[in-house]
Amino acid sequence: MNRLARGAFWVPLIFMAVFFALPLLLTAVWSVFERTMFWMEPGFTLFSYENFFTSARLWNFLASMWHSLISVLICLVLGFPIAVFVRRRIPQVAQHRVVLLFILPFMVSEIIRIFALRPVLQRNGLVNHTLLHLGVISEPITSILYTPTGVIIGEVLSFLPFIVFSGFLAMEAVPKHVFEVCEDLGASTVRTYRDVILPLAAPGIFAGSVFIFVNGIGVALLPNILGGPGAVNAGLIATQAIVALDFPLAMAVSAIMISTLLALLYIGHRLFDLTHVLEPAKR
Amino acid sequence: MNDYANPWSYRLQWAYMLLVVATLMTPVFYVMYVSFNENGFGAAEYVFTTEWYGVVFGDKLMMNALGWTVSLAICTTLITVPFAVLSAKFYKNARNKLPVLFLLMLPLFVAPDIFGSALLVYFKNLNFAFQWLGDQLGTGMFDAWFRLGFMTALIGLVIYTIPYAFIVVLITMGRYREEQTEAARSCGASSWRAFWDIEFPQIRPGVASSCAFTVILCFNEYTRTSLLKGGFDTFTTVLVSQMLNTGMSEQSYAMSAMVSYVAIALIGGIILWTLVRSDKLGREARAKAEPVAA
Repeated sequence: MNRLARGAFWVPLIFMAVFFALPLLLTAVWSVFERTMFWMEPGFTLFSYENFFTSARLWNFLASMWHSLISVLICLVLGFPIAVFVRRRIPQVAQHRVVLLFILPFMVSEIIRIFALRPVLQRNGLVNHTLLHLGVISEPITSILYTPTGVIIGEVLSFLPFIVFSGFLAMEAVPKHVFEVCEDLGASTVRTYRDVILPLAAPGIFAGSVFIFVNGIGVALLPNILGGPGAVNAGLIATQAIVALDFPLAMAVSAIMISTLLALLYIGHRLFDLTHVLEPAKR
Repeated sequence: MNDYANPWSYRLQWAYMLLVVATLMTPVFYVMYVSFNENGFGAAEYVFTTEWYGVVFGDKLMMNALGWTVSLAICTTLITVPFAVLSAKFYKNARNKLPVLFLLMLPLFVAPDIFGSALLVYFKNLNFAFQWLGDQLGTGMFDAWFRLGFMTALIGLVIYTIPYAFIVVLITMGRYREEQTEAARSCGASSWRAFWDIEFPQIRPGVASSCAFTVILCFNEYTRTSLLKGGFDTFTTVLVSQMLNTGMSEQSYAMSAMVSYVAIALIGGIILWTLVRSDKLGREARAKAEPVAA
């Protein structure tokens, strides 16, 4: 293979390094720049961090982390058993086709899915209309939309397919005979999950959980559309700072988010070796 | 547990899985349902109409935005998919896989608003640097390289779509046996010939799927594009600004439904193609396995 052809393989990596990794790393540098009227100038000040950590923004950020954590748990409880079911009970040839079912909701625009929840959850929406029609409730429920519950529902519906994909990828690395061995040895379902399936699928579960957690605190549209006036997350703080031309604050929030993500991925990789998620592709 | 011993457990698990898919799709289907109602959302009477779609197609702003979206989707696909194929081949042969995986998959984990903000500030700084360079050299040719516009939105979309395309191509490549390339090389084929004639036909379904995913993702994307697009509008940026400024109008329902139709049509096409292709391959395999009549 000549040098030119070998060089071609490096092009995507160089592109990603220049336009993805470098901007993310530079957020830490820009976050200590001084704010000017419309832009920022080189300098060293921790004002943006002080502004973030000593204001209500910190509590909003922590609250969004808490909501995101709840969403991760709900997604795991609802989605991971599906990944196990597909891997364990569905014939090998049909498994990928069944997983494609979850591609459909995942590939419909996130914006549409989030906006579409408004007419479903609001006072005269589909849920209240159906429950009233069935006689389950006598008055429309108004405590779903424009509350943290609405944000959590939005996060679960937006990100649930991802836990199915990552769980399924992780389960593909688990040999099918492991389930048969568990059954032959008389292990209960709970014991099989706790002692065998969860440890083997841990890299996929972790990757899926980090995806949901980070996007839960970073996608501004979720609190913006479903959370009402008080709901704010890191993504919304960053975009509001950009609109207010406070670029150092936006970069400080971005740097905090990226550090959180890198720390989580580092811990995950040390614990589970995250490259195992792509085990099926290595075969 | 034997599925035949306890068929109800098996059926229940299937029912649960389908219920989850239906729940995920309910808001989308509801939007489609409302988009055909002449009286709009919440009306007591449902009167079928396609009027709202006509309004969207008659709106010059919308058609202009649709044109930009299609252009972005085509350009992104032309860059992302070859990048994904090159990256997947590089990854398979790399000794140290972690940095490659890290670079290619991390965009999936960085929240869109955070990445969009970082890239916006990066491009503004690059633009200042290139303008300064142009001033020093006495030329204006560098002025528009990184000014917010089509190019910057395109870069943002390529980075956003690469992980999806990469993983699809990588999984397809995982089923390819490298011995076939070695055999072709032993027969005197060049590395390009071995790739194009032997490997590519086998990974073509993955490449086609990653093209479809890239197009869908470009149609769906809002956050990064809205931050990096500069002066033009895409379908989703017009849609979101309408929704945020005037609420969900009947036209918004029709536009939302149209974006969903594109995704459903492409994914449905992939599912059907996968089914037809696997049936065809199965028939061919059975035919080859049958003994040849004397």
